[in-house]
Amino acid sequence: MATVKDLLKAKFTQVWYVTPTSTVSDALKLLAEQQIGAVLVVEAGKIVGIFSERDFARKALLPEVNLGTPVGDLMVRGVYYVTPDQSVESCMAMMTAKRFRHLPVLEDGKLVGVISIGDVIRQIMSEKDSTIQSLEDYIWVHMI
Amino acid sequence: MATVNNLLLHKGKDVWSVQADSTVRETLQLMGEKNIGAVLVMENQKIVGIFSERDYARHSSKKGSMLLDEPIHTLMTHSVYYVSPNQTVEEVMALMTSKKIRHLPVMDNERLVGLISIGDVVKQIMSDKETTILGLENYILGRDYSG
Repeated sequence: MATVKDLLKAKFTQVWYVTPTSTVSDALKLLAEQQIGAVLVVEAGKIVGIFSERDFARKALLPEVNLGTPVGDLMVRGVYYVTPDQSVESCMAMMTAKRFRHLPVLEDGKLVGVISIGDVIRQIMSEKDSTIQSLEDYIWVHMI
Repeated sequence: MATVNNLLLHKGKDVWSVQADSTVRETLQLMGEKNIGAVLVMENQKIVGIFSERDYARHSSKKGSMLLDEPIHTLMTHSVYYVSPNQTVEEVMALMTSKKIRHLPVMDNERLVGLISIGDVVKQIMSDKETTILGLENYILGRDYSG
């Protein structure tokens, strides 16, 4: 069964991040340029939060929020993460339960990548397809 | 193979929409209340577009403004894609993947009957594959036992 490490190998993962003092405007620009839905918020080499299009859309109505607001005020703290040896299924379960589209990957406390729900689903679908293929092959060879 | 109709039966046919002249503020409020990522934009009971969290993030960034009092039709994506209830979920998945869109309106003879998301589609395809695997396994075991 595939692990997070396999997913990271399959694609070149550039990890984009901002700092808590970056403005909302900076973060939104980065999201647009890289065509991504969320960025990690990193301070002194540690992940302190994640900021997504959804966080912006939900908090934009608060009177104190504008494009100059520091990302640290809008980010979601207490980020969930996975490790490279975890199974892709366990990531899927976490993403579904918590309704996350992205999960940082940490190895010995160091950030080594980010996986998205799209990566996870593609992997699981292709595993299911190969299971179906081998079962069909078995039937052709042994039973027909 | 599952169709869009099967999906709608599961998730219900609630479609959240706003009028084209609604403000961004009103629209974001609705999306927050319903915890949804996109709403349809209607004018004279016709769909004229779709507005998502992404549209909001991209437009605010480009204009350098929160745009809360702007009418939603200036920020929406003019929706050109939709599906019909008898299309298969595989077709829908292919369309969403190739166009990089997460939501598609469902139209039945020009009548809006639902809005489906990539999450709905993926869940259905996964469970179809599970069912196939189970069926094949049972077939193999059944034949073995009877022999």
